Amino acid sequence: MTSEATATRTVTLEVFRYHPERDDAPSFQSYEVPYREEWVVLDALNWLKDEVDGTLSYRWSCRMGVCGSCGMMVNGRPRLTCNAFLREFMPGPIRVEPLRGFPVERDMVTVLDDFMGKLTDVKPWMIREQEQPVEEGEYRQTPSQLADFKQFSMCINCMLCYAACPVYEHEDEFIGPAALALAQRYNLDSRDQGNAQRQELIWSDEGIWDCTFVGECSAVCPKHVDPAGAIQQAKVEATNSFFLSFLPFTPPGMGR
Amino acid sequence: MPGPLPRQKSNTWWNQRWAYRIVLLRELSSVAVAAYVVLLLLLLVSQVREGEGAFASHVDVLTSPLLWIVHLVILAFAQLHSSTWFALTPKALPLKLGGRRVPDALITAGAYGAWLAVSAVVLVIVLVVA
Repeated sequence: MTSEATATRTVTLEVFRYHPERDDAPSFQSYEVPYREEWVVLDALNWLKDEVDGTLSYRWSCRMGVCGSCGMMVNGRPRLTCNAFLREFMPGPIRVEPLRGFPVERDMVTVLDDFMGKLTDVKPWMIREQEQPVEEGEYRQTPSQLADFKQFSMCINCMLCYAACPVYEHEDEFIGPAALALAQRYNLDSRDQGNAQRQELIWSDEGIWDCTFVGECSAVCPKHVDPAGAIQQAKVEATNSFFLSFLPFTPPGMGR
Repeated sequence: MPGPLPRQKSNTWWNQRWAYRIVLLRELSSVAVAAYVVLLLLLLVSQVREGEGAFASHVDVLTSPLLWIVHLVILAFAQLHSSTWFALTPKALPLKLGGRRVPDALITAGAYGAWLAVSAVVLVIVLVVA
């Protein structure tokens, strides 16, 4: 098919609209968008904003699945709109909504404060009891030690996992998948010594124990981080630690 | 000045995707499994307290057509319970051998293998005792 022929085809986009200064309630607006085989949903939104309605609001940046800005609900599922091809949803219509579980600032722009606060709370950075002087060189790590946490370090904070999590939707206090996975990422890092500082929050009810292992966070993750796995592993660790605390000694390899 | 739209909480989330429905059935399956364990315990108690005759009549009730259906439902739930948790085992218990992660499928296969082995032992005990 020539590109001219494909350009004449269109697809319907049902777009969530909400402008607090204008609308009492959110609504859906339908637009006809040119269909191109190589277009993703984000391309269609950009076309709409450029050609049809400049007031359409949404976040995006890199267009290559790295920045984590363009997450939206596409036909009810959390997706990065930059890697959701129109052709997956043909013949349409394609429904585009803001990520669920978050307050909506305007159209597809969500309020991120809750996530940002919880992310900071788990201290997702390298904690050392004593910083080693630069002259002593870098903190070294074996490939096996790297493999322990590498997967969890791939998170791009796109929050698709939050939008997929029914627990986060209903429990305001739940720290949520990505932040817990990032906590685990540092806890499992052989160079980090911050376990004890993170423990109280991570092992609390709002932490890992709110999770009921629905597993959809891992299913929707565009970076295969597997937050559900991270949380279950932390649960096993917390349980082991609880029972080991009754022993008069620390078994070899269990000291943390 | 009107502010952002507050976050929405849906009471029908569980019915919106098959993945959610199966999770709910998986959680519900523990009720069926627990109920059956209680039933078997009550049977044992009745044998101890009321003797052989009462026990035999209870077993007769258990083999009635209605209870057959109940058994099948509980069996289906027990299968769902086991298979879903075996599928999730590698996420909760990743294994490392020689510095490398054991493939998830192998861990799940190991769980099924252990299940088969235990079932075989139970079968032998039941057949030999009977």
